[in-house]
Amino acid sequence: MKESKKIFKTALEEGRTFVLENEAKDIMKAYGIPIPPYNTAVTADEAVTKSKEIGFPVVLKILSKDILHKSDAGGVKINLKNDDDVRKAFNAIMENAKKYGQEKGISVDLSRGVFISAFADMGTEMIVGVTKDPQFGHALMTGLGGIFVEVLKDVSFRLIPFNEVDAREMLNELKAYKILEGIRGEAPRDVDALVNVMLSVSKMIEENPEITELDCNPTFVYEKGKGVLVVDARILISDSE
Amino acid sequence: MLTVSCGSTEQLDLFFNAKSVAIYGASTSQNSVGQAIIQNFIKPQYTGKVYAINPKYDQVLGVPCFPSLQDIKEPIDLVVVAVPARITPRVFEDIAAKGVKAAIIISGGFSETGPAGAQLEDEVVAIAKKHEIRVIGPNCVGVIDTHSHIDTFFLPEYRCGRPRPSNVANISLVSQSGAFAAAISDWTAELGLGISKLISLGNKCDVDDDDLLCFLAEDSTTQVICYYTEGYDSRKGRTFFDTAKDVTPQKPILVVKSGRGQRAKAAASSHTGSLAGSDRIADAAYRQAGVIRVDNFEHMFDMAKALAMQPPAKGDRVLMITNGGGLGVMTTDALEALGLAIPHPSKELEDRFHQSLPSYCAVGNPIDVVGDTDASRYDIVFREAIESGEYDMFVVGMLLQTPSLGMDITNVIANYQRQSDLPFIVVSMGGGFTTKAGEIMELMGVPTYATGEKAALAAKGLVQYGQIKYGDKFNKTIDSDKP
Repeated sequence: MKESKKIFKTALEEGRTFVLENEAKDIMKAYGIPIPPYNTAVTADEAVTKSKEIGFPVVLKILSKDILHKSDAGGVKINLKNDDDVRKAFNAIMENAKKYGQEKGISVDLSRGVFISAFADMGTEMIVGVTKDPQFGHALMTGLGGIFVEVLKDVSFRLIPFNEVDAREMLNELKAYKILEGIRGEAPRDVDALVNVMLSVSKMIEENPEITELDCNPTFVYEKGKGVLVVDARILISDSE
Repeated sequence: MLTVSCGSTEQLDLFFNAKSVAIYGASTSQNSVGQAIIQNFIKPQYTGKVYAINPKYDQVLGVPCFPSLQDIKEPIDLVVVAVPARITPRVFEDIAAKGVKAAIIISGGFSETGPAGAQLEDEVVAIAKKHEIRVIGPNCVGVIDTHSHIDTFFLPEYRCGRPRPSNVANISLVSQSGAFAAAISDWTAELGLGISKLISLGNKCDVDDDDLLCFLAEDSTTQVICYYTEGYDSRKGRTFFDTAKDVTPQKPILVVKSGRGQRAKAAASSHTGSLAGSDRIADAAYRQAGVIRVDNFEHMFDMAKALAMQPPAKGDRVLMITNGGGLGVMTTDALEALGLAIPHPSKELEDRFHQSLPSYCAVGNPIDVVGDTDASRYDIVFREAIESGEYDMFVVGMLLQTPSLGMDITNVIANYQRQSDLPFIVVSMGGGFTTKAGEIMELMGVPTYATGEKAALAAKGLVQYGQIKYGDKFNKTIDSDKP
């Protein structure tokens, strides 16, 4: 909790209402939410060393207070398989960021370098998200993740905080629940692990009400007993509260 | 984070049990609001004292009229304010000086009209706060209490009927909309539904949904609490949720919330000044707090009647018994569509039915005791089915067009209901005779419906509330969580 407060303070001091990806994942980790191994690097050499520690393949993403939408700035390189891939990707990301800055007429801060993450195996894509409703306050949403959220809108909500019974009911309300239970010979998914993520997020919001929006999307859910991984995490905060 | 607790609701009691009422803006002109309200209070049913306030008159319809509250010697419990908005601050100074602690502002022209009106409302609220006066309104029709006969609805009774309380059980309704409150008064009077209180909240400048929820939760004459709302003010959805969560294990709460669509959202926000929140979040909040959300008023009162008169179901297994095959099939179709279990009787129970019933009765679920039955076959079915413990609820088809079924059927149903304490719902289709029989059935405490669909919805209400009230202990045999 102390950790998250420090991160939010830094962000607001820098004029950001979003937290950087490594920060978001530090917070997730502090709440026991499973995430693929990650690290940060400020030079190409460091990126190579850290990537080796994590194990190939890896993903590199720009880390800058000036860039919220990383793909738009050419700041994401995936499926990097060796030293050479990583070195090239690092340099390309830095170049792209500079170019992006020139186009926007801003000088992009590059001092934080890149975020490195293990490339997670594909699982059933779910979303766990939080919104803050003006009438009801914080609510947690879950449903099929990735592109399915927008197309199918098969999601369910509960106000935060909620308990384990609520979390299981939420999943049970989804049309996609059958997929989690396992259909046509597919093994059932690790629903217990997903429920734990939902409860951890609920606790995180309770302790950090300055969070206005949060997305764990996608959250990969693996076979029963094999857990979940939050692959992408986004946290927005408010400067008043 | 906001925390809610039900404070003392004693002061709110004045709105429903005032022993002396003053009508500010009472008027002698025909069809005026000021006259319509005073007419309500001079009916003999209201046994308290009533005073008119208007500097223009000495009396209004025979009620003594005074220039100000301070000219009245006796204490006043409640003031009804029906004067133009611009003079309400002066009226509230008078209310404060007299030491009255409750006021209903009927008049419009406040925050619903724009910044100037909002300023006026703020002025009134400031005076009320300072002198601890609780305020309902402005921009509302106020309250009806069917026991005390406090009635501030400024609508003549020949156009807008007034509901009556039932000896069995009663419903209270809180409405954001005054027009709906009036229409529901009229409609429930026609339906003969037992009503305790109707409250129109208008702009909710002071008394709001949460206050009334606390009050009605404690109110011994209210068995079911109903709400009509278009949305909540900032954060008020959350406080309603927090309060409701504490109330629903004790009393059922039903909500009709409009504003599901984008267009309605815009209309509602300009209508009441409430924020347009996500309807899906509201929906989730209701489920989580154990509030039953229904689509419309018809569904609301079908469910509310059953919830007021019957115990909640302890499980979802329904037995349908009927003396007409078609009614049985239609009703079980409707029950099934609503996610209720309609299990076939066990082999043992089936055998017992066969032993006692004529061979041409169709034993199953529905169980058809056929058109030539009298009350005795119902008696057999109830006795055996209750004894078996295989069912949590009974839906009883009672077609009275056949001459063989006597009115003693109502006794049989009511007796088994009372002895077993299991919920019973009766469905009785037909005309004048049937309607009368239904009224008799309801006087004996068992809710009666004109169609299988309505009866099924009532059954669903009892199951839904049973799940809310009993939680883990509720015997759920089929999975019906899909909204």
